[in-house]
Amino acid sequence: MVEQVANGVETLQNSEHLLEVRDLKMHFPIRRGIFAQVVGHVKAVDGVSFTIKRGETLGLVGESGCGKSTVGRCIVRAYDVSGGEMLFQQANGHVADLANLSGDRLRLLRKDIRMIFQDPYSSLNPRMTVFDNVSEALQVSGKMSRNEMRDRVAYLLQRVGLRPECMTRYPHAFSGGERQRIVIARALVTNPRLIIADEAVSGLDVSIRAQILNLLEELQAEFQLTYLFISHDLSVIRHICDRVAVMYVGKLVETASIDDLYRSPKHPYTEALLASVPITDPRQRKERVRVRLKGEVADPSNPPSGCYFHPRCPYAQEQCEKLEPDLIPVKGSSSQRLAACHYADELTLNGVIRDAEIEAQV
Amino acid sequence: MTEPLLEIRDLQIHFFTDNGIIKGVDGVNLTIERGKTLCLVGESGCGKSVTSRAILKIIHRPGKIVGGQILYHRRQPNGTTQVTDIVPMNPKGKEIRDIRGKEISMIFQEPMSSLSVMYTVGNQIMESIRLHEKVSKQEARNRAIELLRLVEIPRPERLIDEYPFRLSGGMRQRVMIAMALSCNPTLLIADEPTTALDVTTQAEILKLMRSLQEKYGMAMLFITHDLGVVAEIADDVAVMYLGRIVEQCDVDTLFHDPKHPYTQALLRSIPRIAADRQTLDPIAGMIPSPYRRPSGCTFHPRCTQRMAHCHLVEPAITPLSENHQVRCLLYEAQPAPTLEAETAQHG
Repeated sequence: MVEQVANGVETLQNSEHLLEVRDLKMHFPIRRGIFAQVVGHVKAVDGVSFTIKRGETLGLVGESGCGKSTVGRCIVRAYDVSGGEMLFQQANGHVADLANLSGDRLRLLRKDIRMIFQDPYSSLNPRMTVFDNVSEALQVSGKMSRNEMRDRVAYLLQRVGLRPECMTRYPHAFSGGERQRIVIARALVTNPRLIIADEAVSGLDVSIRAQILNLLEELQAEFQLTYLFISHDLSVIRHICDRVAVMYVGKLVETASIDDLYRSPKHPYTEALLASVPITDPRQRKERVRVRLKGEVADPSNPPSGCYFHPRCPYAQEQCEKLEPDLIPVKGSSSQRLAACHYADELTLNGVIRDAEIEAQV
Repeated sequence: MTEPLLEIRDLQIHFFTDNGIIKGVDGVNLTIERGKTLCLVGESGCGKSVTSRAILKIIHRPGKIVGGQILYHRRQPNGTTQVTDIVPMNPKGKEIRDIRGKEISMIFQEPMSSLSVMYTVGNQIMESIRLHEKVSKQEARNRAIELLRLVEIPRPERLIDEYPFRLSGGMRQRVMIAMALSCNPTLLIADEPTTALDVTTQAEILKLMRSLQEKYGMAMLFITHDLGVVAEIADDVAVMYLGRIVEQCDVDTLFHDPKHPYTQALLRSIPRIAADRQTLDPIAGMIPSPYRRPSGCTFHPRCTQRMAHCHLVEPAITPLSENHQVRCLLYEAQPAPTLEAETAQHG
C-alpha cells in the first residue's frame, strides 16, 4: 500500500489528499523503579491510517482515553511518533513526511498546521495581551513588521467577531466564548491549510457552542481550510463533519461518510456509541433500541486478544477472540467505507437516522 | 393527584463580593413532586447549582440566602406530613444535618473531587450510614456491599476495599450514587452527574438512576445543561436564565411547544444527531456579566421577539396552563380566550 520512491520523495495516493496518515503509532513507555526501566508500553495510537481531502472536515470520535487527541498531537508533532508516516501536501505541491521532519523543515510546516484546544482558559497565556497571544507565531518567524502584524491581527479579530480594539487587553477580560474566538484567530494568523480542532467546542455553553460551530464553518469556506475535528460529541460531529473516523483503544474501527455512519454503522462499537447519545425528543425515549455495552474500555497497555472490542461486543463470536480484524472496505460500498470487524458484511446494525424520520422532517 | 415534596418560594441568594452584590438567584419558585424528576436547565452561571445547594444549606460565603422559603414536606412516622422551612435553619445545626445526606442527598459532577482519596470506598459509604443510623460496623458493611450491588458494580465484596483512584469515572459515579442512596432519601439532588462521563457511561448511569427511582420512589432534582439528557430523564423541566426561572413545564411541552423565546432559542441552537444537517441558529450575544444585569426582562438584549417595553418591565410568572408557566411579556395580560385555548390544547 505504501508507495515510496527510492530517494525518499513520498507520493500521495491521490493528489486531492492533503494529509495521508499511514500506520501511525505512538507508544508511551511505562517506566518503573529507580533505574526507570521500561516495563511496558501504553499503545495510545497503534496503527492508525486515514486520509483527509483538501477542504473537507474529518471527524475523529471516540471515548476518553481512546487516543484521538494523541493522533492530533502527533500530526502537529507535539510528540516524536513511534512509527508510521504522515504525508502532508505542501502549498507548492511537494509532499513531506511529518513523522521524520525536524529542525527548520518542521518549523516551516508548523505554520501550515495549527491547533485549537478545548479549554480556552488554559490555552491562552494570561500574561500576554491578545495581540501578543494571537501574533506570537508571526513574531517568532520575524518576517513581518509590527505594523503589518497589527493589521493582520486586527483583521482576524474582526473576522472572528471581536472588536480590533480588544487586542491590547488581556485574556482574563474575556468570556469563554470570546476566548475561543481569540484561539481561533491565533490559529488562523499564519494562513494555515490544516486546522486540528481538539474538542474545540466541548467546554462551551450551548448558545455559544452554536456560534463557534457556525464561525468555524464560515471560516472554512472563506479561507479554504481543512479540519480534523476531534470530539467525543457525536451530535457536533454530525453537524460539522463530512466524514468520520471512529477510534477505539488506539485503533480505528470504522471510517465512513457522515450519512452512511449515522444511518447504518458497520461496526458494533459505532452502533453502541450512537445508541448512547441522548436524543433531544422525549417522545423517542421508549422507542429507541438500546445496545448495552458490558464492562469498561480496554486498557491500552494491556489490550485484549483478537478484536479489542470483543469483551464488550454483543455480537462477538469465537473468531473475534483470536483473530484481529483489519480495517478493510465494506462490501457493496465505496472504498471510503472501512470497518474493522469480521462480521461487518453480515451484521445489520441500527443507526440513529431512520429514513422515515428524515421524510417526516422535510 | 401528585403530592409536593419540596416547594421553593421566591428564593433569593445574593453574593456579596468586593465589586458589588451579585444576585445569583433572584426569585426562584419551584415545586418538586414526590417520586418525580425535575430537571433544572440553564447555561453556566445562571444559578442552577446554587439553587440546589440552598436546599441543603451548603451556600458558602460570600453567598447568602437573603429571602424566600424552602418548604420541605416531611413525612412523619404516623403517616401525616409536616411542612418545615429549611431557610431559617442553622447550616451547622442538628435539624439540617438530620435531613442532609439522609432524607435529601446530593451527587456532584466530578466524583473524584467528592470522594476522599484517603479512605476506601467502603469506609466512605459506611460513614454516611453510621452517621444517620445506629448500626454496627459489620451491619453497615453488609449494607454498603448491598448498595454497591444495587448500583450494578461487579464483585462488590472486593471493590468495597478499593480506593477511589483505582476506579474509572463511571464506577466512581456509581459509588457516589450508592452513598447518596445509603439512607433511602426522599429527594436526590444530582448536579450534572453525567457531564464528565463518556456517552456510553452516561447512558448507563442515566438508566441506573431511572431504575433506582422506580424502585425506591424517590424524587430527583436533576441539574444539567444538556438538553439531550433532559429529554432522556425528566418528567418536568425548569429553564433558568440569570437567576430566574423563565419557563417551567412538563418535558413533552418543553420540546414540542416551548413558549419562552430563550427556551425556543436554546432548542434551535443545539445540533441534533438524528435530524438533517442545517445551519445552527445560535443565540446572539453573550450571557451578560452578573454585575451588569439588563433591566426589565434580563433576556431582552438577546431576544429575537423583543418588544418596545421589554427593557422596562419585569415580566411576572404567567400561567399558561395547569403545568406550564412562563416569564415573558409576550404572554402576560393576554386575553382570556388564548389562555383557554392553551389549556384545551394540553388537555
